[in-house]
Amino acid sequence: MAYLIGIPLLVLLAILQSSLLGTFHFIDGRPDLVLLAVIGWALAGGKTEAMVWGLIGGIVLDMFSEIPIGSSAIILIVIAYLVSLYEGRLWEAHLLIPLGITLLGSIAYHVWFLGVIFLMGRPIDLTFAFGRVIMPSIFLNLVLALPASQLLAGLRNRLYPPEIEI
Amino acid sequence: MKSPHPRLIVVGSLLLVSIALLILGASGFLQPIQDLSMRPVTAIQTWFAVRYSALRDLLSSPRDVAALREEINRLEAENARLEQEIISLREQVSEAEVLAALLNYARSQPENRYLAANVIGRDVSPFIRSVLINQGSDKGLAQGMPVVTARGLVGRVVEVFASYSRVQLITDPDTAVNVRFQTSRTEGVLSAELNGELLVDLIDLNAELSQGELVLTSGLGGKYPTNIPVGQVISIRRRDFDLFQTATIQPSVDFDSLNIVLVITNFQPIILESSSP
Repeated sequence: MAYLIGIPLLVLLAILQSSLLGTFHFIDGRPDLVLLAVIGWALAGGKTEAMVWGLIGGIVLDMFSEIPIGSSAIILIVIAYLVSLYEGRLWEAHLLIPLGITLLGSIAYHVWFLGVIFLMGRPIDLTFAFGRVIMPSIFLNLVLALPASQLLAGLRNRLYPPEIEI
Repeated sequence: MKSPHPRLIVVGSLLLVSIALLILGASGFLQPIQDLSMRPVTAIQTWFAVRYSALRDLLSSPRDVAALREEINRLEAENARLEQEIISLREQVSEAEVLAALLNYARSQPENRYLAANVIGRDVSPFIRSVLINQGSDKGLAQGMPVVTARGLVGRVVEVFASYSRVQLITDPDTAVNVRFQTSRTEGVLSAELNGELLVDLIDLNAELSQGELVLTSGLGGKYPTNIPVGQVISIRRRDFDLFQTATIQPSVDFDSLNIVLVITNFQPIILESSSP
């Protein structure tokens, strides 16, 4: 069921990221909706599913980009895996944990892309990249992190209602 | 022996799939699958892009001036067309001698053929400045075709799929365009900074440039047709100890509000192996 909902959702988010958010930007940064969805689903408890979401979301994202297909998937899978390692231990204790996870995930995501861009032979200016793209993108991701994790946790609860002992 | 954690097996398998996709993609084997899978996605994206564009226009203008806005749009389009015509006429005046010889040749050339396309998306990476358009090889698009609007040069088609194409904008740092200054007749190479700012480099140190001077494509290198407006000079940097002077250019196209573009379909670009402009 998570895949039946997840695949169209990820395609929709990738379309939104490319068409709508392509023109909406804060400085030169944009929110990374697919990344937020993968982190949110992993935080909500979808351990293996989040990794598969990372693969699918990454492939769809790369189809909208000049970046080689598979490169987004690799980092999204790794992020989902790392988040899933701590699933059920930390964030249940504190509401702000999704923010920390999103911060680290966003940094890893963008640093990975800098590496990919570098390997593609494109020019890179680290001051510009961090100052105008990565930091604003991380800020936008943090703004959206809590609503995203709440929405996905709600969706997961609807799909897999927690068992109640009577 | 303890078996590896099942989640580790999953992540390993998924990473292997991703790496396989990277290799297949680099070899070009994914193109047919991408063509097929992106066909419905392109349709959805076009639907989104058109409605989003309409909604943005609606929200950015008061409703009671909708009719006036329509009239302004019409006049702006007319104005842009006339500006193009003026540029073309100025070019003809300054090149009168050459034109006399080329007149017969120009008459024998067919007019540019255009294919209109909607901009349906932008590259999801903020480091890459390219847009997706909803026309592809189904409509005869090919790699290297120049893309323009009524205001000037947008870029060129760099990737073609069945139902969509990718257009590399002239604001992408990986782009270089050979240009000519309209008044001073000097030439240079236009490239973009990482922040999207346009610079013309390799300008003869003795050339007398002026602010506001128009910059047009020169056609050198064979990647773009000649005399397409690119922008206007906003500042000039000239130092005696440099070999060349540089100029900062204000692009004539507003790349933030690109909705519809025209692809010149009858231009045959010269594709070179090297990345020269």
